[in-house]
Amino acid sequence: MLKHSFLSLMFLFYLPLLSKSIIVKKNSTINTIERAINVAGNNDTIIVEKGTYYEHELHISKHITLISKEATIDAEYKGGIFVLEADSITIKGFILNNIKSSHIKDKSAIYVINANYFTIEDNTINNPFFAIQIHRSKYGIINNNNIYGDAKVGKNSGNGVHIWHSDHLQISNNHINQMRDGIYLEFADDCKIEHNISTNNIRYGLHFMFSNNNLYANNEFNNNGAGVAVMFSKFIHIENNLFKLNWGSASYGLLLKEIYDSEITNNTFVQNTIGIYSEGTARINYQNNSLKNNGWGVKIAGGCYENKFTNNNFINNAFDISYNGRMNDNTFNRNYWSAYTGYDLDKDGVGDIPYRPVKLFSYIVNRTPETIVLLRSLFIDLINFSEKVSPIFTPDQLKDNQPLIKLIN
Amino acid sequence: MNKLIYIITLMLLCACNSKPRVIAYGKDNCHYCKMTIVDQQHASELVTKKGKIYVYDAIECMLYDLKDHPERDYKYHLVNTYNNPKILKNAHQSIYLISEKLPSPMGANLTAFKDIEQGEIMLQELGGKLYSWDDLKKQFNL
Repeated sequence: MLKHSFLSLMFLFYLPLLSKSIIVKKNSTINTIERAINVAGNNDTIIVEKGTYYEHELHISKHITLISKEATIDAEYKGGIFVLEADSITIKGFILNNIKSSHIKDKSAIYVINANYFTIEDNTINNPFFAIQIHRSKYGIINNNNIYGDAKVGKNSGNGVHIWHSDHLQISNNHINQMRDGIYLEFADDCKIEHNISTNNIRYGLHFMFSNNNLYANNEFNNNGAGVAVMFSKFIHIENNLFKLNWGSASYGLLLKEIYDSEITNNTFVQNTIGIYSEGTARINYQNNSLKNNGWGVKIAGGCYENKFTNNNFINNAFDISYNGRMNDNTFNRNYWSAYTGYDLDKDGVGDIPYRPVKLFSYIVNRTPETIVLLRSLFIDLINFSEKVSPIFTPDQLKDNQPLIKLIN
Repeated sequence: MNKLIYIITLMLLCACNSKPRVIAYGKDNCHYCKMTIVDQQHASELVTKKGKIYVYDAIECMLYDLKDHPERDYKYHLVNTYNNPKILKNAHQSIYLISEKLPSPMGANLTAFKDIEQGEIMLQELGGKLYSWDDLKKQFNL
């Protein structure tokens, strides 16, 4: 018994020796990362010392960790840089430059294929085509990376973090700038996308499709060409995000298409052409959001059922709500509307008369977008007022029976 | 007076011209799903007899829209093909590959090819299944 425990103890002391550190340095035998990968065994750590390494297409099929001490890898436009093909690989702290432009999926700065439990952290990727692509890989972490693209309208470009058929990922604290789409998910379930900043991308700051049970929290989506568009997914939580400065005829703070059973709470939509655009959505709970200074606060296109809007702030939007159709199945309750001109005689904080948030003019603009030029004209104000007093076109049930008098904090 | 009537009639008739137009990649939005059209190998277009043009970012979006609006009268069905991006070809004469290894923008893995030879080359390389336009419509329940 004693002998066994003694042997186990000795084994524990020897365990660290089973995994070793390999140092890559310019003036040493191991002076390229490729060589280090070749000699490494499973569970080894490769430490790459400061310097620029001119390498590309580094395929990794062992469970190893690569840590950079301010090392730069320059692919000289000959290909992608890291290809992860085994589980439990970590890539940390690298600066990756000059990746070849290509639609072929291998040519990303970092491409992960059939490799689970990966960690991609603290890297900086400059001007890639695709920065990080994950295919068919689960339980990975993409954390604290900076991706700086140089995408331009008309020029073909790739995405910052592109996920395909990969579940249980954590994508957090990344800063993605000027790519085609900042974060793109397709068939990616059970993921957490948090604390990212995705700005100035040509198309979408965030786009996901067919990706369920995901959490998108505390992100900032700012000044993206088409805003954020999410589609064909359910059981989504979108919380505490900032959607701002998405201007354009086809730019949306948040576009929802075929999204079901989801929570959209505590988000801020500021200065977008359209704060939220919703088409084919059902059972979404919109709560405690702030929609301020948008062209349209919420534009509801066809096929939206059983959505609830509660405790939201609608402040200074040209159109608070725009609606399409005669029947309404959505509820609006206890929201604050800056355009509400009712009174509160019993001082309970709730307006005594209901508020109808859809203006008649919004129907005219829906059918003929060019008529927007009449916004703020006296004639439009008059017809809006007459519709407010006695609604003919707007659905009767589309009203907030308890509009709040004071802004919600 | 007569001359004036002729000229005006001619001008009115010119307005009913139904011709396809070039897709502005990076600017146009898909009529079905609203996504910006960027993929030059999968974008597609419909032109009605009255001249109204609908553009789509993927062939599957065009098919979904065809299904949603059977009442429309179309003059042209046009698709981009894999080997000749940006050049719209007649959808009726193209061959289609559905293959998991060749993704398309909206998840249907559907790509068009100019003719059966080019389709077969890709079929050999990536697997999947080839369809004619009529077979494809049946596949999408049209």
